[in-house]
Amino acid sequence: MMRHRNLLITVLLLWSLAPLLWQVYTSFSTHEALLQPLGEHNHRWTLDNYRQVLTANPPFWRYLFNSVIVGIGSTGLTLLLAIPAAYSLSKVSQNVARTAKFLLFGAALFPYVLLFLALLELARSLNLGNNLLALSFPYAALSMPLAVLLLLSAFRDLPSELEEAARLEGLGLWQRLRWILIPLIGPATASTAILVFLFSWNEYPIAMTWISRADLLTLPVAIARIAGSSVYSIPYGAYAAATVLGALPLLLLVLIFQRQIVSGLTQGAIKG
Amino acid sequence: MIQLLLFPATLLIALIFGLPLVRYTWLSFHADSVLTGLVAIPNHGANWLRLLHDERFWQDTYQTARFATVSVSLELLLAIAIALLLDQRWRGRGVVRAISLLPWALPTTVMALGWRWIFNTPYGPIEQFAELIGLQPLNILSNPNITWIATVFGDVWKTTPFAALILLAGLQTIPNDLYEAFYLEGGHPRAALFQITLPLLQPYLLLSLLFRLAQAFGVFDLIQVMTGGGPAGSTESLALYAYLNAMRFLDFGYSATVMISGFLLLVIACLLIWLIIQQARHWREAVK
Repeated sequence: MMRHRNLLITVLLLWSLAPLLWQVYTSFSTHEALLQPLGEHNHRWTLDNYRQVLTANPPFWRYLFNSVIVGIGSTGLTLLLAIPAAYSLSKVSQNVARTAKFLLFGAALFPYVLLFLALLELARSLNLGNNLLALSFPYAALSMPLAVLLLLSAFRDLPSELEEAARLEGLGLWQRLRWILIPLIGPATASTAILVFLFSWNEYPIAMTWISRADLLTLPVAIARIAGSSVYSIPYGAYAAATVLGALPLLLLVLIFQRQIVSGLTQGAIKG
Repeated sequence: MIQLLLFPATLLIALIFGLPLVRYTWLSFHADSVLTGLVAIPNHGANWLRLLHDERFWQDTYQTARFATVSVSLELLLAIAIALLLDQRWRGRGVVRAISLLPWALPTTVMALGWRWIFNTPYGPIEQFAELIGLQPLNILSNPNITWIATVFGDVWKTTPFAALILLAGLQTIPNDLYEAFYLEGGHPRAALFQITLPLLQPYLLLSLLFRLAQAFGVFDLIQVMTGGGPAGSTESLALYAYLNAMRFLDFGYSATVMISGFLLLVIACLLIWLIIQQARHWREAVK
C-alpha cells in the first residue's frame, strides 16, 4: 500500500511539474542544443535567452508590473463592492438571498469570453481603452459572483449576537462593519482577494482587446503576442525564458497563499 | 437602507453581464460589418439564416462539444484519483497539494506557448522520443486528426487541479464512522469506494462537472495561442470563431449571432445534463 501510494505521488508530481521543468530546461539551452539535443556541443547552456527577454523593448518586467497594477486595482474594487453587497445579502430575507445566490451562481458559470465584443464596444464608447486601471471594472464584475458568495457565507457564519451587542453599544452600521465584522471575516477576505488577483493576473481576451499599446500589455497578452509574432522560425529558447519568468511570480503566490486559495475555492464552491 | 449596499455591485454586474446579452440579441438582427460601413442596419433575421447554413459554425459546434466532453470526462476521472490520494494522510501532503495546484494557477497563454514547443515537430521532446524509438514523425500540431487531442491534453493538465480541489473538499465532508462501520461488517475497500465515497461525492461531482463544462465550452485562450484554431480549422472553438468574425472579418452582427447561439447551446447542454441526472436518480430509486 505504501509503495503503491508513493508511486502515485511521484506520478502526480511528474504530471504537474514535467511540462514546467521542460520550459526551464529549454530556457537555459542554446539554440544549437535545442535543435540537436543528443549531439555534442561546446556551448550547451546559456543565459542568452533571459538576456534577450529582459532587454527587449519593452523589457519583460514591464508586463509583470502592468499585471500587478491590474491585479491590485481589480482586487481592491472587487472587495470594495463585494463586502457591502455580501453583508446586505446576509441581512435580507431567505427567499431574496436564495434567488440572489442562484443568479450569482449562474453568472459564475457564464463563459465570460463571450462578453468580449460588447465590452470592447463599451470600452470604446467610454474611452477606456489602453488604460490599465479601467480593466478593473470588467474584472471586478466578473469576479463579483464568486467574491459575494464567499463573503456571504463568511458573514453568515458570524454569530448574530455579536452584531446585536455592538448595536446596543450604540455603534452605527459603518462602525460595526469597520471595527467588528470586517476584521472577523478576514480569512474569507484574504481568500477572495487572492482568487480575484489570480483571475485578473491570468485574464486574456478582455485584456487583449482593451489594451493595444505595447508598453501597457499584461503578461498573458504579451506572451500570446510573442506566440503570434511568427509562425515558422520561433525562437523557443526566448519563449521558454518568458514563460519561466511569467510563471515564477505565480509559483511564489501559490506556495505562500496555498491555504487561502484552497479554502477560497472549496468554500466558494460548497457553501455557494 | 441596508439594501442600498447591494446597489453598486448589482449595477456593475448588470452592466458587464446584462448589457452584452441585450446588445448581442439586438445586434444579431442587424447587419453591422465593413460592408455596411460599420453601421447597424436591420436585416430581418439574415444572420440567423446564415448561421443555419454555415458549415464552419456547425463544424466548430461539433469540435467544441467534442473538446468539452472528452476533456471534462478525463478531468473528472483524474480529479477523483487525485482527490482520493490527497485525502489520505501522509507526510508532505501540503507541499504536494501546492505543487499540484500550479498548473491551474498559471496563465493559460503561458503554458499554451509551452505546449507548442513540447508538441513541436521535429524538435519537441515528444517527437524526439518518437524518433528515438523509431516511429515516423507524429506531426502532432499539423495533423488535423490528432491536434485536437493535444489541446485536450493541455486543458486537462491545466484544469484538473480545480476539479480535484472541489472533490477533495467533498471527500472531507464524509464522516469517517461510515467507513469504519463498513469495514467492521467485512466490507472491501474497493466496495467502499462505490458504495460510500462516490454516492456521497455526487453533489460535488455535479458541481465540478457544471463548472468545468461551462468553462470548456467557452475555451478560447488555449486554442488561440496553441493552434490558432488550426490545422485546417480542426481545433477552432465557437468562442474563437466568434472572435475571428468580430476582430478579423469585422462582421459584428454575425459575431454577436454566433455568441448568442453559443450561449444558448451551453444552456441547453446544462439543462440536458440536469435532466439526465434527475432521470438517473429516478431510475435508481425505482430499482431499489
